[in-house]
Amino acid sequence: MLETPGPGGALPTRPRASASGRLRALLFVAPAVLIAGFVVIGGIGVALVQSVGLMPLVGEAEFSLDAYTANADDLLTGLGLSLAIATASTVLSCVIGLTAAVIITQGRISGRVVAALSALTIPVPHLIGAAAIGLLVADSGLIPRALGLTPAQWPDLVGGPWWVAVVLEYTWKESAFVALVVAGVLATRVAQYDETAALLGASRARRLRHVVIPLARPAVIVSAVIIFVYTFGSYEVAWLLGRPYPEPLPVLAFRLFTSISLTSRPEAAAVAVVTTAVALIVVAIGMAALKRTPLWR
Amino acid sequence: MKPSPRIARRLSVVLAAGLTVGLAACSAPAAGDDQQYDSWEEVVAAAQGQTVKLWMYGGDEQGNAYVNDVLVPAAAELGVTLEQVPIADTPDALNRILSEVQAGETSGEVDLVWVNGNNFGTGKEAGAWECGWTDLLPNMALTDPADPLLENDFGTPVDGCEAPWHKAQFTLVYNSDTVTDVPTSYDELLAWAEANPGRFTYPAPPDFTGSVFVREMLYAVNGGPDVVPLGYSEDAFAEFTPALFDELQRIEPFLWREGSTYPQNSNELNELYANGEVDFTMTYGPATLTQLVADGTYPAGTKVLTLEDGTVGNASFLGLASTSGNKAGAMVVANLALSPEQQAAKAEPDVWGQFTVLDVDLLDADQRALFDALPESPVVPSYDVLSENANPELSSAWVTPIDEAWRELVLTP
Repeated sequence: MLETPGPGGALPTRPRASASGRLRALLFVAPAVLIAGFVVIGGIGVALVQSVGLMPLVGEAEFSLDAYTANADDLLTGLGLSLAIATASTVLSCVIGLTAAVIITQGRISGRVVAALSALTIPVPHLIGAAAIGLLVADSGLIPRALGLTPAQWPDLVGGPWWVAVVLEYTWKESAFVALVVAGVLATRVAQYDETAALLGASRARRLRHVVIPLARPAVIVSAVIIFVYTFGSYEVAWLLGRPYPEPLPVLAFRLFTSISLTSRPEAAAVAVVTTAVALIVVAIGMAALKRTPLWR
Repeated sequence: MKPSPRIARRLSVVLAAGLTVGLAACSAPAAGDDQQYDSWEEVVAAAQGQTVKLWMYGGDEQGNAYVNDVLVPAAAELGVTLEQVPIADTPDALNRILSEVQAGETSGEVDLVWVNGNNFGTGKEAGAWECGWTDLLPNMALTDPADPLLENDFGTPVDGCEAPWHKAQFTLVYNSDTVTDVPTSYDELLAWAEANPGRFTYPAPPDFTGSVFVREMLYAVNGGPDVVPLGYSEDAFAEFTPALFDELQRIEPFLWREGSTYPQNSNELNELYANGEVDFTMTYGPATLTQLVADGTYPAGTKVLTLEDGTVGNASFLGLASTSGNKAGAMVVANLALSPEQQAAKAEPDVWGQFTVLDVDLLDADQRALFDALPESPVVPSYDVLSENANPELSSAWVTPIDEAWRELVLTP
């Protein structure tokens, strides 16, 4: 009798293979999960515990919300300011980035130029970008000098009441990010649909409204969430191009954390917890919006 | 935030208790590794081949250049490898030492730290510094033992826990091309600011320089350093600071950008001055002014403002970390840094321009010649002139409460 390992023989081994495969997959993913867990649960957990007085540097551990109320005014103005900066930066980045993406996907020379500019912008660190923006638009910067304006004639963009230079820096960097992400998504799908719609007689405006924007929407939502959370929690740009009062949340948190009196650490942790909570809420809103887009299903 | 000295005191007690326990726990294994030296010869012998890490503020290019181009080669000749660890802020080094102290480390990452003021005082309380070693240094004999700046560091007795390195004098600087009616006192300075809206400002505390300016004003509005007690107490704070903050609020509308905001640090103020947006700047390192005028960064009319009230002076030091495993090497470097040759080289305006801590009268003729050969600056008067009427620094316990009250009362609208 000729016994060959046929399909029948292979069958019983399949569940075993998949079990070990699952184990292997778990092993592969474990380092990432461990690190992420350590940072997310460990870091946020410690901040949370510290902020409610359960991990004091001195005295007894006792639950209290003092750290949240100690700087309530600063915390609220900081929250408002951070929300405003993040919202302005996100909206501007998405509008400019989406426009750039549409130009890129049209594949003309101008598209290639925009794509190259965006790709060049991505690797520049925010810190360098902030310094460059500062050198350009400060009231003694290159631009007012080139225009022959005195500091009094030039608006207070850097360190001014409207945080213009900060939003400008974020918008410059992040619109390039949106442009590349959205262009990547559009490039794979938009041509076919766009041509079909064109053949069916749709005008450019209608194609943009009914084809391009719906296709780009999920990518834009995801980018917007990333940008919002990033700009909401970013320190160096706001510190470098901002003013000493009011302070955005990350700047407030860092100042409290490095303050010479060690008792201000719980207050710094409280600011960090508020920042994290807002960021998580924004992520949740973003995910909900993403689920409602037709393409997601 | 309200300052709470009570909590700070409790903190220091707990820290000290914790440290005692920690040190007691680790003293047994460390017994074989005692780095106690009875004579300078022993120190020099033990230092051979050691590598010493000097942690210091790295934001000053001239300082970095002096250490790496002048001090490091000289240390190498003595058989000690010196490495500069540039840091953003001195508390970074202190925090590192404190963590090492808690961990019972005896061969830590930090050997020497350029330090003074609050960082020294906090560190001394927490046992971060090796103490009583500076008497071993031969070059300590060239300093004046009664020099108040070297005896106390912002009110904390030095007790041989750090070796002197430089002296500094807080200095106001003005552009003589635009300021014609030159103020000679703080009152006149504020009157000038009022008469010339938008042309004066100061960095926002807790910036080091801005913080000193506010403390100078505390002296000025209360009638001088003889009136304000150098030691901090809540009563003294309540008695003397209201006049200060009233005055600072009163002049606010006449400052740069109508006082709606302040430069965030002394660099920003220096930039405003360099660009001609304000007519005054202030610095703790006036010796660098000569170079800044020579290279055209500052206007040619830049001059140092001499005030009848005098200004605050202080010294900065090299602290030896109690957790260092290279204490002999660190002492050799500290002694070298105190030598007349190094002190004179460092005082050269185009090297670093830091004032010497040595008492020139105690030097022999050759050594004194090194200092006599230093070029005279057209911008900056000599240290003797600058430090005339020098005011003592308030104790470091004053600093944080004043800075925080300033944020609350002056910065916040």
